[in-house]
Amino acid sequence: MKIFLNKSLIAWYFILPVLFIHLFVIAIPSISSLALSLTDFRGMGKLNYIGFENFIELFDDRYFIKAVYHNVIWTIAFLTIPVFVALVCAYLLTGIKRGQLFFRLAFFFPYMLASVVNCQIWKYLFSPIYGIGTVLSGFGLDLFTTSPFTTKEYSLFAVAFVDGWHFWGFLVVIYLTGMYQVDSSLYEAADIEGASKYQKFRYITLPMIRPVLVFTIMIITIWSIPVFDYVFILTKGGPAYSSEVIGTYMYSQAFERFNVGYSSAIGTMMFFYVLIIVGLFGILRRLGWEV
Amino acid sequence: MKKIIDSLLVLSFIFTSSAVFAKTQISWWMEARAERDPIVMEKLVNAYNSSQDEIELVIEFTAQEVLGEKLRTALISGGGPDIVRAAGPSFIKEYQMAGMLENLDSYADQYGWNDKIVPWAYNSGVFDGSLYALPLTYESMIMLYNKTLFAENGWGVPTTLEELENVASKAKAMDMNVYSYGSTGWQPTHEHLVGIYLNNYAGPENVYKALIGEKKWTDPVFVEAIELLRKHMVDEGYWSGSLENYYAIDWDQFHDAFSARDAAMMTIGTWTFQRTEMNFSSIDDDWGWAPLPSLSSNSPNQNFMLAIGTSIGLNPNSKNKDAAASMLNWLFSNKDVVINLSNSLEFAEFNLPLYYEDSDFPTDVNPKIKDFLSTFGKVTGEGNYGYCTWAFWPAEPGVHIWKDMEVVWAGDISVADYMADHQKLWDKARDKGTTLSIPDR
Repeated sequence: MKIFLNKSLIAWYFILPVLFIHLFVIAIPSISSLALSLTDFRGMGKLNYIGFENFIELFDDRYFIKAVYHNVIWTIAFLTIPVFVALVCAYLLTGIKRGQLFFRLAFFFPYMLASVVNCQIWKYLFSPIYGIGTVLSGFGLDLFTTSPFTTKEYSLFAVAFVDGWHFWGFLVVIYLTGMYQVDSSLYEAADIEGASKYQKFRYITLPMIRPVLVFTIMIITIWSIPVFDYVFILTKGGPAYSSEVIGTYMYSQAFERFNVGYSSAIGTMMFFYVLIIVGLFGILRRLGWEV
Repeated sequence: MKKIIDSLLVLSFIFTSSAVFAKTQISWWMEARAERDPIVMEKLVNAYNSSQDEIELVIEFTAQEVLGEKLRTALISGGGPDIVRAAGPSFIKEYQMAGMLENLDSYADQYGWNDKIVPWAYNSGVFDGSLYALPLTYESMIMLYNKTLFAENGWGVPTTLEELENVASKAKAMDMNVYSYGSTGWQPTHEHLVGIYLNNYAGPENVYKALIGEKKWTDPVFVEAIELLRKHMVDEGYWSGSLENYYAIDWDQFHDAFSARDAAMMTIGTWTFQRTEMNFSSIDDDWGWAPLPSLSSNSPNQNFMLAIGTSIGLNPNSKNKDAAASMLNWLFSNKDVVINLSNSLEFAEFNLPLYYEDSDFPTDVNPKIKDFLSTFGKVTGEGNYGYCTWAFWPAEPGVHIWKDMEVVWAGDISVADYMADHQKLWDKARDKGTTLSIPDR
């Protein structure tokens, strides 16, 4: 009995229920998905083992390749624009003493809204019947007369913009928290040396919040792979696959075309991609990076 | 002691009698629609439950977007409702292939369903020679037009491509869109248009040949049909003014635009009757319907595309299959119940393909809809019918026909390449045996 009450095991007891849930919700479905990727399963009925046929077909599937390319663009877009804007805003906010809470709330607010609500707002804004385009045309301005969500050249960027708009406030709060952890004496010393605001940001703030910054880069990179909700609600991956990402393509294969085996192969590729990203960050940590 | 025995006797009587007199409950999952559901409850559920004492019908309304996945998951796990519903034959075929539908042959013989349901619709649920599903709603594609607007301008309802293009140019000259329509909210809307052009340009005969494998989809006649659709959609902006607007407009918006004279006509399915009638009831304009114009000499006769919008079958795991079949028989045997229910929905749903006489319709049926129902019966009865994609295309080519249509409209691939891809998917479907029953000509 004593062996079960060993102090070193208590932590395990608390973790076990979570582990148990994960086993059923994550591990078993993931392993099943890996197995299904080697079959021609259609979501119902019998399945046949077909080896790596689904994977071979994937590399020949122009829309899958297009979706992967869109995910790469999406990742790059999210690693640059929201991060840059959030960093600048957070830094500027540290200089605001009065009313800072208002800005923090205002920037964070879209993040608290459900994706369906956010998307509906933007859809209405760009509606060719009720949207801002019709209002502006009343003033003789030919802007936004067509919705960017329905134009193949802009659809991916338009969706990324809406998702970025909802997401960047979250980054502001994280960076702001990081910036408040920086020792104020460093800034005082810089002031004495006559450093400019930019120099203080470049040589004090940025290096001091590097762990936070790298952490956000890691989560953005990982979160960009299974991106789904904003694309699905706003464009369903269209028009003409112009905003198709891996997540929506996987959904389409599984639930529209009943190619569950093929869809599982796409999921497996996503899994390995995330594994590589996490592995890369692990290697960086081992090399002494503050990741 | 005596009191305890008495109490036990009373309790046992209650338990026994409740088990003996309890009704058999049968369940049916249906997509939710706020304005329709109370009518279904009153005119189907209550009507059935009050018609007899042995079976209780329970309908559970679920959001349309999740119903299919929920049903599929439930069936895979051995559960689910007694009555299985799917959006037409190609979906119900997937259930049948997976062994998730009960063979209805014995019930069909017992209740004589073959004599009650019109053959083409009955056969839509026959797979491998056996009946697995019944057609709950038949529908077709039609053209609506603003009757008042047409009369004011002396326009005739177009019946040919030339007449269509003539009316289109006049509507455009008045800064009006030719058709009101849009696909936001329901991306497969494109297949309505593809179906129209395949049937009314290439002609039902050629479509039939392609469906049964006697003709390839790469045949020039189909390429020309889709090329004409591309021209009308992309170059001419027939639908809502431009391709981008067509993508951006939803069900409410295109209906409102049509009644507000933003467009002269509307290409749509017969499920629109309720909404169109509602919109026009509050304005001075009147609306009318017409068969879709013939777009080439391949389609000389007026025809209606056949479609089954909803198919229903029985869950093989159900413990109440006999009761569920009995309920379905009640529905398919009571034309007055069906017409009463469907009439309340302006014949947009529960439009069961039964043999109707003019005398079956009450006097309060909207004359426009009555005209459609009798014309549809007459024209299709003469063999002039085409084929809707969602009723006669297997799942994978059925998705390709609308999903990849966008790629053609975007100019990313040629129509010939699109049709070549389509043929490959049909070949694959034939190899897998997922093709559906096609009404003969």
